[in-house]
Amino acid sequence: MKFYPYKRLNRPISLRVTSASLKLPDGTREHLDTSAYSVPQRTVALGVAQRDDWISARIGLSATLPPGATDPDAPWSDLRVLAVLTDGDTNVRTTVDLRQDAPDSKEWAGDIEVLRDDHVGRATLAVHAVATIDDVPGRSITETDADWAVDTVAEEPLGGLTLDVKQASFSKSTREWLRPYSDAPWVIDASGRVPLVMVNTDVEGFSDLLGGNSGGVESKVQELLLAQMATDVWTAVFHSALGDLEVEPDGSPVFPTDWRGEVLREMLPDVVPGLRAEEALRQVHRRRTGDAGWVELQTRVHYAAVRRASASKAVANALRALQQMNREDSA
Amino acid sequence: MIEKPHHIPARLGLLSATAADPFLTEDLLKGVQGHAGIDLAKVVEPLPEEDPRWDVEPLRDLVDDAMYQFKENRTEADGWLAPRLHATLRLTRREAADRRIWTHLALAVAPDYVAWRHGPAPAQDRNMRINPARFKGAADRQCFSRLWWAAEMFRNGEDYGPVVTACSNQDLIHNALRMDLIDHRPTAQALVRILERGVASTGREINGLLVAISTAGATLVYDALAPDEPRDPEPLRAWIEEAESAPPVPRHTLPVGPDEERVPEASVAALADYLVGLFETAPIRGRTPQP
Repeated sequence: MKFYPYKRLNRPISLRVTSASLKLPDGTREHLDTSAYSVPQRTVALGVAQRDDWISARIGLSATLPPGATDPDAPWSDLRVLAVLTDGDTNVRTTVDLRQDAPDSKEWAGDIEVLRDDHVGRATLAVHAVATIDDVPGRSITETDADWAVDTVAEEPLGGLTLDVKQASFSKSTREWLRPYSDAPWVIDASGRVPLVMVNTDVEGFSDLLGGNSGGVESKVQELLLAQMATDVWTAVFHSALGDLEVEPDGSPVFPTDWRGEVLREMLPDVVPGLRAEEALRQVHRRRTGDAGWVELQTRVHYAAVRRASASKAVANALRALQQMNREDSA
Repeated sequence: MIEKPHHIPARLGLLSATAADPFLTEDLLKGVQGHAGIDLAKVVEPLPEEDPRWDVEPLRDLVDDAMYQFKENRTEADGWLAPRLHATLRLTRREAADRRIWTHLALAVAPDYVAWRHGPAPAQDRNMRINPARFKGAADRQCFSRLWWAAEMFRNGEDYGPVVTACSNQDLIHNALRMDLIDHRPTAQALVRILERGVASTGREINGLLVAISTAGATLVYDALAPDEPRDPEPLRAWIEEAESAPPVPRHTLPVGPDEERVPEASVAALADYLVGLFETAPIRGRTPQP
C-alpha cells in the first residue's frame, strides 16, 4: 500500500470515453460510431474504420470525481483534472487538462489527441486529479483505478491478449526462417510485438480442418487441435515474457508494459497461487535465474497454460465424440 | 575480431529476433568470427523499395567514421553517433518501436560496430561474450536503438545539444531510458540541466537522483508542475519527407532535428530547481547527509 504524506480522496475517478474521430490527410474528420469503444472492456479500437492513413484521433472523455473533491472546506486548492495517455512501446506521454462542466461540478470533460505516428499498438489512458496541498503544487489527490486502453490498430474494442495467426507453406514461404520447421504443423514466434502463430499449410487438409465448420467429429478434432495450439502459445508467451524481464537496481523484476505484462498478470495466479502479483513475479524470477525450483515450476506453468486453453473441455468433448462414433459403428 | 561483413545489404529490412537467432553464433558473440551474410539476407523481410530512408550506405559510413574517430575511447562514440544516427535514419516513434529494423542494422549492416562498442576490451577477459541483447534486445539495450532513443528522448525540438550531454553520462542513459519518467520532455531536459550544473555527476548520484524523482513522482504529477507543448505531427512528417534530399549529416557540427516546438523554458527551469531540491535531501549511498 502506498503512503501519502497528505490527505487524499479515498475513492477513484470514473472515466468514460464519449466520442472518437479520426483526422484524415485531407484535413476532414471521420467520426467513429459507438462500436469503436467498449465501456466494459475499457478499450477504444481506432482500427474500426479500417484505414491506415489517418493522422490523429480525437477521443472525447468524461470524468466523474468522487464526492469531496470540490467541497469548499477541502484541504486543497487549484484543483485540476488531467488526462494522461502513455505508451510503453514508444515512450510517448501526452497530457491534457479537462474542463469542469460547471463551477463546483464533479463532472469534467475534454478531448485527447492520439497521433498515429506515435503509437504501434496499445496506449494507456488514465485521469489524475491534482491540487495544491500545504503549498505543494501538483499533488495527486485521486486517480482512475482502472485504465482505458487505446488500441490504434484493433478493429474491435476487446481487452486481453491479441494473437497474430498466419498460414503459410513452410517449405515454400518467402519467410525462409520457416523452412527448417517444414515438418511441424505449427510454430510460435513470441519475440515480436504480438505473439505470432504460423500454421503450416504443407500439412494436407490442416488449414481446411482449422477453418472448417463441419460439425461432428471434425469439429471436435478441430477444437482439440486449437486447444493444443493455445496451450503451446500460452506456454511460449509465458516463457518469453519471463525471459525478457527488466530488473530494478535492487534486483526486483518489473512488470513489462506490453502484452508480456498482461500474460504474466493473467498466468501468475495459477503458477504461484496465493501471492500478490509483484511477489509472485519476484519468486518466479528468482527461481528462473538463481535458486533451485525452476524445473519444479514447469508443471505449474503447463497447468496455467492448459487452463487458459480450455484443454480439458476439448479432450473430454473429443473423447465423447469418439465413443459415440464407436457405438454407432458397432450398432 | 569481427570484421566488416563482405556482403552488406544495400537496403535496411526487418529481421525478427527468432529469424536472427541462428546467426548469433558463439563465435560472433565471443568476437572470433562473423556470420556469413548471404544466408542472413534470405530471412530478412524487405521494406518498401521506393523509400530512400532505407539506404544503408549513409548509415554504414557513419559507423565507419565513429569507429575511426573514437578508436581510443569507444564509450565517447555514443554522444557523437546518437544525434547523427537519429538525423540520418529519420523515423517516427511507431517505426522506431519495431525492433526488427534495429536487429537487421546490427546483425547484417554493422556487426563489427556492435563487437567494437560492446565486445570485451583488449585488457578484459578473452572469454567474455557480447551480450546478445546488443544485437536483438530491448530498445534500451540494443546497440543502435538505445542511441536512437536517447537522441529522441533528450533532444529539445531541433536541438541535439542536450543529447550530447545526456550521452556523456553512461549511468544516465543506461538507467533513464528504461524509466518512464523521461517520457515527460520537461523532466528529460531538467535532468540534462542538472548534469550541466554539475550537481549530480557520479553513477551513484545519478541513480540516487533518478530514484528520488520517481519516488516523489508517486505523489506528484510532474505534468502539472511543468507543462509541455502539445505534440504536433507535422514538423516530424516534413523532416522525414526531406530525408530524400538531405545531404549526409555534418561530422564536426551537430545536425539539426525536426522543427518541433522546444520544451517551454519556464517548465525546464522550474523543474530543474525542484529536482535539485529533491536530490539534496535524498539519501544517496556514499554521501554524508547534509546537516
